[in-house]
Amino acid sequence: MSKFFKRIGKRIVAGLVMILAVSSFTFFLVHFMPGNPVQTKLNTLIEEGIPPLQAQAQVRSMYGFIPHQPLYIQYFHYVWQVLHLNLGKSISYSGVPVMHLLLKAMPWTVIMVLTGLAVSFIIGITAGVIASVKRNSKLGDGLLLLSTFLHGIPQFIMALGLAYVFTTIFKIFPFGAPYNAAISPGFTIPFIGSLARHAVLPIAAYAISGFGAWALTMRASVTSVLGDDYILAAELRGVTPSIRLRYIARNAMLPLFTILTLSVGFMFGGSIFIETIFDYPGLGYTINTALAARDYPLMDGAFLMITAAVIIATIVADLLYTVLDPRIQRI
Amino acid sequence: MATANLPTSHEHIKPWTPPTFWSIAWKALRRKPSRMLGLGILVFYVLMAVFGPMLYPANLPTNPANIYASPSWAHPLGTDFEGTDVLALIVTGSRYVLYSAGLAAFFTVSIGAILGLVSGYFRGWPEAIIMRIADFFLTVPGFPLLVVLSTVWNFGNPVSMGLVLGLTGWAALARAVRSQTLSLRERSFVEAARGLGLSRRQIVFGEVFPNTAPYVAMHFLLAITGSIYLEVGLFFLGVVPFSTNNWGVMLNLAFSQAGAMYSTRALPYLLSPLFCIMSLTFGIVLFLGAVDEVLNPRLRSV
Repeated sequence: MSKFFKRIGKRIVAGLVMILAVSSFTFFLVHFMPGNPVQTKLNTLIEEGIPPLQAQAQVRSMYGFIPHQPLYIQYFHYVWQVLHLNLGKSISYSGVPVMHLLLKAMPWTVIMVLTGLAVSFIIGITAGVIASVKRNSKLGDGLLLLSTFLHGIPQFIMALGLAYVFTTIFKIFPFGAPYNAAISPGFTIPFIGSLARHAVLPIAAYAISGFGAWALTMRASVTSVLGDDYILAAELRGVTPSIRLRYIARNAMLPLFTILTLSVGFMFGGSIFIETIFDYPGLGYTINTALAARDYPLMDGAFLMITAAVIIATIVADLLYTVLDPRIQRI
Repeated sequence: MATANLPTSHEHIKPWTPPTFWSIAWKALRRKPSRMLGLGILVFYVLMAVFGPMLYPANLPTNPANIYASPSWAHPLGTDFEGTDVLALIVTGSRYVLYSAGLAAFFTVSIGAILGLVSGYFRGWPEAIIMRIADFFLTVPGFPLLVVLSTVWNFGNPVSMGLVLGLTGWAALARAVRSQTLSLRERSFVEAARGLGLSRRQIVFGEVFPNTAPYVAMHFLLAITGSIYLEVGLFFLGVVPFSTNNWGVMLNLAFSQAGAMYSTRALPYLLSPLFCIMSLTFGIVLFLGAVDEVLNPRLRSV
């Protein structure tokens, strides 16, 4: 068990190092940006008649930077602030802390991505098992072709296509907001119904774009497990087909955890497209609007947050794998 | 006269020649019609990108009196919000998409293969540094990274686009090549090469690299599809300023400017670039099966 905790500890330290690396990256990015926004902001504040010291304090709280200090002091100050979850202040929402805006955006992204992940996982696994068991039939070939095809379609094309087909050509689902603005938010049945109706297409876009990878890997994994000796032994013992399938599925699912980490990154990254297309005020949408508004503290904050979400999800996937596959713990 | 039936000379017995690369490739292609289809799609789009733009004037004519026209003989795919022929936009836009995707795949594969070989063969501190950087690019979600990078680097022209996609996308290949190199460097033929006193450069690029080449070639094709997705996505979001017309710009204009999402009359305008991207990706995926078979002798059935 102590090895288990050692493993967790190692992963968490690696995750923290990664978050430090990403925050250093955003620091140098803003620092070497053409036109130097920090200096420009400082100059405009001074031109507006604000005393230099007060202007410096304002810029400092906005970007987390101290102009006129050696680079390394600026850097340590910035990283220190990030470690204290202080990501500076937004420019376009003048003066609102970036963290405050991100905490509001976070649930939209996390809930949508996790739901999409769960749906694509369930459909993908089922399709993969069927495609493998029936691999010499029309059904198996069809499923293989379908998952190869869907695997190749970019996420935003899927989202655009779904949006166009189901909101413009066939007006089945509403388009362009997380919920109907006429209904006041709260724990009421119409509001939750509206939320769910608006969420169908974005979740479908996440799920369909992630489905192919799961199905293809599960198919390959099941096919390799099918030939194993313990399956033959179970058949000879005369287990029922449903128990046999359970043996197969449990063992074939283990390699999928490596896909889980890739898939999580892919889906959080794709949130830029899906949230922009469906007008969901999540982290990806925040990156895009902050970029258009030249609100760099907000953009960097949202980027850092998405990366942190991917890192945390990767650690969770790794731990789940350790718990589910007893072979790892023994090593 | 019993010997009359026996061949008196060896003239008409053809000496056995190993099948050439092209005959193996042709066989692999012919085995499944879907692979021929994939090759056909690829050739079609490459020809479109190379020769297509020559058929149209540099500045496509606009016609305010004929916006969102339905498909007709004059405009096979209809017209856009300015009255420009959609087919002309597709054809002239294909050059940017294919050119920069090809460059991006080239940079991805070159950087990934070289760093993978170096870190796998030389081990030690180069490996440690390269793999930490690879971890960074593997963890950070690629698309948001490109969006953030666009604030400091205006990578709109095809060469810069290829370079930036290569610089952010090499990590997965480097990891794979490294792990193959780790096993290859212990094989006897590499040991023999070391014993013969070949230089390290000759061993890495002359002995080890050819053995990783099949995987690298596969990755090249996959990198093309990935790059198309990313570059069209960047233009679709409007992150990179539009310099030339391409499919991503078309999608962006259809989605945000022209209001195509709210009316069915712009159907051909929105669907044409979508269809092109999907069919090109699909063609590459189909073709990949044949490449896999040519490069992995074990998959060839006798």
